Amino acid sequence: MGDPSGEPGSSMHGVTGREQSFAFSVASPIVPTDTTAKFDLPVDTEHKAKVFKLFSFANPHMRTFHLSWISFSTCFVSTFAAAPLVPIIRENLNLTKQDIGNAGVASVSGSIFSRLVMGAVCDLLGPRYGCAFLVMLSAPTVFSMSFVADAGGFITVRFMIGFCLATFVSCQYWMSTMFNSQIIGLVNGTAAGWGNMGGGITQLLMPVVYEIIRRCGATAFTAWRLAFFVPGWLHIIMGILVLTLGQDLPDGNRSALEKKGEVAKDKFGKIMWYAVTNYRTWIFVLLYGYSMGVELSTDNVIAEYFFDRFHLKLHTAGIIAASFGMANFFARPAGGYASDIAATYFGMRGRLWALWIIQTAGGLFCVWLGRANTLVTAIVAMILFSLGAQAACGATFAIVPFVSRRALGIISGLTGAGGNFGSGLTQLIFFSTSQFTTEQGLTWMGVMIVACTLPVTLIHFPQWGSMFLPPSKDPVKGTEEHYYASEWNEQEKQKNMHQGSLRFAENSKSEGGRRVRSAATPPENTPNNV
Amino acid sequence: MAIKKLLFASLLICSMIQSSHGATKERLFTDLEKGSLEITATPSRTGEGVVLAAGIDKLSITWKVSSTATKEPEFKTIKVKLCYAPVSQVDRPWRKTHNELFKDKSCPHKISSFSYDPTVKTAQSFDYTLERDIPTGTYYVRAYAVDAIDHEVAFGQSTNEAKTTNLFSVQAISGRHKSLDIASVCFSVFSVVALVVFFVNEKRKAKIEQSR
Repeated sequence: MGDPSGEPGSSMHGVTGREQSFAFSVASPIVPTDTTAKFDLPVDTEHKAKVFKLFSFANPHMRTFHLSWISFSTCFVSTFAAAPLVPIIRENLNLTKQDIGNAGVASVSGSIFSRLVMGAVCDLLGPRYGCAFLVMLSAPTVFSMSFVADAGGFITVRFMIGFCLATFVSCQYWMSTMFNSQIIGLVNGTAAGWGNMGGGITQLLMPVVYEIIRRCGATAFTAWRLAFFVPGWLHIIMGILVLTLGQDLPDGNRSALEKKGEVAKDKFGKIMWYAVTNYRTWIFVLLYGYSMGVELSTDNVIAEYFFDRFHLKLHTAGIIAASFGMANFFARPAGGYASDIAATYFGMRGRLWALWIIQTAGGLFCVWLGRANTLVTAIVAMILFSLGAQAACGATFAIVPFVSRRALGIISGLTGAGGNFGSGLTQLIFFSTSQFTTEQGLTWMGVMIVACTLPVTLIHFPQWGSMFLPPSKDPVKGTEEHYYASEWNEQEKQKNMHQGSLRFAENSKSEGGRRVRSAATPPENTPNNV
Repeated sequence: MAIKKLLFASLLICSMIQSSHGATKERLFTDLEKGSLEITATPSRTGEGVVLAAGIDKLSITWKVSSTATKEPEFKTIKVKLCYAPVSQVDRPWRKTHNELFKDKSCPHKISSFSYDPTVKTAQSFDYTLERDIPTGTYYVRAYAVDAIDHEVAFGQSTNEAKTTNLFSVQAISGRHKSLDIASVCFSVFSVVALVVFFVNEKRKAKIEQSR
């Protein structure tokens, strides 16, 4: 787990851990290497990797990374597998626009709940089993597409398949057991981005599979059902690979689970309270709903949109739609990176401005996409929109770790759930009724993105300021220590439960911007609770 | 910086392309000569509430050129299509009727296309078995007369102008097969069983190791 003190929610620590800039490795004096360990990568005292070696499959660290992001990506493939085939499915099942829209809403709604539960599942069973259970138990839901005969069935099956998006949680959790918290930011950001790519891969994969099956002689209305066997089998294969090749911890399986007898030091109720009463949490829930949320909505509608509006063939529409999701490969990490660059000059204020600019730009490009009348303009607008939305996702999670130290896990979970909620809401309003054509829906979605990004201006950190206000000059309230320690009451402070927060506060001083970074003498990455 | 310039340039070019996309395709449905072709479509099974089965039932289509047709010398090809009645277009914008011919989506299913023989003046007929990919819906039949440059010049349809008479309903095939259902169940069961087997196995091995 990312934090050895075992507090509930600490399992999510390091999910978004972006205390330091993206780093590929951690230098030795900062985090001591355990030289007795025999791993392919240098490891720390907990045997977590200190280096992120992308093209290696070495057991256990990099192998975990690849197993993890591929399983997550597989779940994205199956959740959005119906989207590029909708032009066929709608004729087979006699769907109306409302039915298609409702199915899209259903596909993202299930995981709001399942992501919240998954954290507990990972705590109980470990991330390896959490991932394998989810992936293999959702394979039947994918196969059950072959039974669907009407709109109700279609919506139900898409809802059930959507539960598997909770692999996001197991993916990030598993990574934080394997990688040192100093580099976990890049590792998790890459895994999340590459996982989201599945939403793009599916737009290419499913029409091609469908076409092949049709050429083999099946009728259209049978071919699409057969095509779903491919993501179904991917689930089974990935589940088996995770079970056979994966392990829970660097040293093997289960050993730390035996130690689970250690009672959680922090109370869930308290953490929940601090998460919920921090107004910034809710602003990020809204914001992520309009960066990740619109990405998910667009994954659902874009292939059908290109097919209908520009009279393209199914697989051509699929190729174009795929490029939307595939941009995640670099767009999401790039967003985080841009946030880091802004932070080196302007600190947290730079991060907030970067987020606002990127997300608003994405919204404007979305408006342009809705208004584009020719194929070329639409493609250009869509690609720019995808870069904006996905980079905004990366930039969001570059700030979230600073909102709270104590309740980071829950806030990350709530933000993630907000993404799905925003997606469901957007699809419900703009893409499920006959009131808007799809192009009008896209335009209005863009307007809503711009409007819902404005609350970023309200996020104010007393120690660092906000977009328009400078930091507080109060010598007590304007410090990082005060902000992070205020999450603990006096009794807890007397028991020294807030030490982790104080260390975090010390490390976070770099968010003050250039004047602070140049003044600071110790390196940003003082060893924290590793 | 270079990337920004490239992006801006491509944006400019694209917007120019958009504006230069001229009005060359605006051949309108309302320009076509109405009623030039008299066409009737008789389903193989008729009656109150009869729904034809896709892939099984047939339509017997009879057509001839109307005496009122003025553009007859231009006819080169006759294209017969299956079209959606208004009731099947509700809440389904991908089947919408547009006046611009290239945009119109109300007649997507081709029945037949053949050369027009001006020497035959009597009514001709042919049978059409409803294809297996015809969706569930209510339909009528329309025939377009197309000239040598592949532009529609006239049409006729088996229903009235309001598209309320002589409509027939079709029920699509479900696309489901027993073998598919069985395979689906088998794979699902395999997935769950494999998971349980692995889990139980590992727990057993762990117990054995612990007891050592």
